[in-house]
Amino acid sequence: MDQRLQNTHAKLLAFDLLSLTQTPSFSTYEPITFTRKNTIISRTEILGVITSRELKPNKFLKFTIDDGTGCVTCVLWLNQLTSPYFSRRNPANVKLIADMAAHFALEIKIGVVTRVRGRIAGYRGAVQVTVSDVVVDRDPNAEAFHWLDCIRLARNCYNVVAGDAV
Amino acid sequence: MAAMAIKHGELVTLEELNPSSPFFKQGASVRVTGKLQEYIVETAIAVAADGNATLKIDTQHLRDISFRIGSTYQFIGELLIQPDNEAILQARVGRIVDGIDLSLYHQSLQLLRQFQADHLNNSTS
Repeated sequence: MDQRLQNTHAKLLAFDLLSLTQTPSFSTYEPITFTRKNTIISRTEILGVITSRELKPNKFLKFTIDDGTGCVTCVLWLNQLTSPYFSRRNPANVKLIADMAAHFALEIKIGVVTRVRGRIAGYRGAVQVTVSDVVVDRDPNAEAFHWLDCIRLARNCYNVVAGDAV
Repeated sequence: MAAMAIKHGELVTLEELNPSSPFFKQGASVRVTGKLQEYIVETAIAVAADGNATLKIDTQHLRDISFRIGSTYQFIGELLIQPDNEAILQARVGRIVDGIDLSLYHQSLQLLRQFQADHLNNSTS
């Protein structure tokens, strides 16, 4: 299994991301390993139009990104101030993370083109993204550039790493 | 956090939305781009145009969007094909894309379709 892309935010089109192979692993931190042509992919960058938004205040914001090839479910956690996961960390840092997540949540609106980075996760058998960064893209050509980036990277980089250039 | 079944809007050009097209199906989820040619406030029906092709868009479910004749818009929604074979897009998402390079968009769309077809062929072979 090739691990060279493991710490990279791989730019993937939704149909490509949604067709990653899922394999259960023994790690409690990452219970599922996601692979593309025998290459481990754990983080991704996607871009598309927000088509749904479901807010659970102080818990999470779940939203959908449609890039024209598929719909990806994304989850932005908003529970940093109450979750035991953050209880041993520096409270000032946790506050910063919580403020940033709250700011991202305000930016995510239906109809807006957004670039999202995050960790690939599985939920009930489906791929979803646990969000770490959100940037609203106001360039009307951003989606076309993103498609071209994804195609170029798949052909010249991701497929080559996998030893299967197309 | 049950998964919602929201279909993606298949990227199509207005010229491709004719009755003989594979995209021209009742309930098909599509994403179209065109210049606003007409907008009737009372019915919230807009007409988008790209070249010689036009499409009626039902915008009644859209919020936080203003309609300006001559501006370019992108809509995602489901096709409603009427008995006379005229299609209306029931838009659920809409945005202004003034400044979009339609030539770049159309060329990129062709490359994207080719890439998807290659990917599908490689994964099935």
